[in-house]
This record gives sequence, structure tokens and C-alpha cells, in this order.
Amino acid sequence: MGLIGYVLRPPLALAESVCLAALDAVLAAPFTDEAVRRVLASGALDRALDEALAGPLVDALARDLVRHGVPERLARELIAAGIVDEVVQSAELEKGVDQAMETHLVDAVVGRLHESDELWRLVAEIAESPAVTDAIGRQGVGFAGQVAGQVRAESERADDGLERLARRLLGRSPRPAVE
Amino acid sequence: MNNYAGLVTRALAFAIDAAIVDLTGIAVGVVVGLALSVLNTPDDVDKALLAAGGVIFVLWTVGYFVVFWSATGETPGDRVMRIRVECRDGRTLTRRTAALRLVALGLAAIPLLAGFVPVLFDRHRRALQDFVARSVVVRVPG
Repeated sequence: MGLIGYVLRPPLALAESVCLAALDAVLAAPFTDEAVRRVLASGALDRALDEALAGPLVDALARDLVRHGVPERLARELIAAGIVDEVVQSAELEKGVDQAMETHLVDAVVGRLHESDELWRLVAEIAESPAVTDAIGRQGVGFAGQVAGQVRAESERADDGLERLARRLLGRSPRPAVE
Repeated sequence: MNNYAGLVTRALAFAIDAAIVDLTGIAVGVVVGLALSVLNTPDDVDKALLAAGGVIFVLWTVGYFVVFWSATGETPGDRVMRIRVECRDGRTLTRRTAALRLVALGLAAIPLLAGFVPVLFDRHRRALQDFVARSVVVRVPG
């Protein structure tokens, strides 16, 4: 910085302090709110925003958001605060989903999925997975066991019924209980 | 009172066993028959093979029942119906007793199945083969 910098530092610091004090005074002044209101009502801000959104600012902003991991951080905070749960359980979301289901959107999505080879590949992989085949096998064995159990119960009743009938036809007493 | 298996349960178990024995015999017979059909064997050889097949089928049938009765007391049909063949004192049949029981079972069927009628009247629900082999058929608790 040298000698010039050394000499200019005090007046620059003074000027900086004066400017900040002036800004504080402007922000605290009653006309500032009115001035902001007028700017907002004038449409100038809309035009400025429109210009900004039409330009490269949005792309740059999106890149920065991704670069700094803002979506992940935001999602983490929302989940931690329980806001996501509240939204998921809200009646408004349910209503919105209902309305979306009534539109042609669902049909379009289902149609796209139906035409997708990836979907059928996924379905085939799931169908061939050990978990699914085991579950089907268990269900088959369970069903066969249920049928066999029913047949056994019926056959026991038939055993007793046939025996009672035969004994009655020959005029014999019922079979005595044995261990 | 319901510790011994009745006529219907025993008939169903036997039907399952008969289906297993017959279907296995038929499957083996078809395979062997198809294999022989491509070979131009003389008639005498065919007759000899047929006789051998009959003998093998009888041995297979006898072996099926004797082995299961003497090993666990349960054929697959008995297992499905949850019944078991055992001696009166609860022991498993010996091979000799099991073979004797099978012969008596055949004899019981000859006079219009009259040998099975005692199941309806005997207090231990025994048929002719059970009297001969001193066995009972009990229900297995499930």
C-alpha cells in the first residue's frame, strides 16, 4: 500500500463511517417506507424482475444453488423441523392429489409407463427376485396345507359318521372310549 | 375316542399312496416303453421285458409300503392324513411285520373288501391286516 495508503487510510475510514451513518439515517427516516411503497406500486420492480428472469441470472443462480448444495440443505432442515411430515399429512395435499388423479395426467403417466421397456424390465426383475419367489412358494405350500387340513377334518367327521351309521344298522352300541 | 384313524381317513391315505405308486410306475413304464420303441427288439425280448417290468412294479409296490411302515410308520399318504401305523405298544413295525401286514391287506381286499369292515366295529378300529400284524393306525397330533 505504501505511503499514500498509509496517509489516506484515516480519511477513508472516516468517510466510510459517515456513509454508513447516513444510510442508517435514511433507512430510519419516515419517508423511506413511503418511497419503498411507491417503488413497489410503480411496476418498476416488476419490470426489473422480468428483465432479470429473462436474462442469464436464473441460470447462474441455479448453478450456484446446486454448487452449494442448497436443495439438500433445505430438505434436511425441512425434514428436521417436521414440516415435510406436516405437508404430507395435510388435507390440502390430499385434496391436491385427488384433483390430480381426476385429470388426464394419471392416464398419460400410466400410458408412458406402459410403453416403457425399463418398467417391464423392472417388473421382470422383481418377479424373479428370491423374495418374491419365496413368498409365492410359501403361499402355495400354505394353501396346500390348508386344503389338507380341511380334508383331514372332514375325513375325521366322516370316520365317526360312518361308524355310527354302521353300528346303528347292526343295532350295536356306540364304540366305547379308549385311550 | 378319536385316537384311532377311521375307515374314511385310512382309505384316503391309501388312495394317495396308490396314486403315487401307480403314477410313478406309469411314468417309468412310459419312459422305458418309448426308449424301447426306437430299438427293434424281438417279440420274445419284449415279452421278457414286460414280465420283468411287472415284477419290478410289484417289488416297487411292496418296497414302498414295507419301507415306509417299518421306517417311520407313515407313508406319504399317511403323512398327508396325519396317521401312523404302529405296534400296539407304540413301537414301529419291523420289516417282517410290515411285509406281513401288506400281504394281509391284499387278503382283506379280496372278499369284496370285507377285511376292512372290522374297522367300523372294533374298539381300536383295526382291519384284518392290523389283527394279523398286531398293529393299529393312530392319528398323529398336528
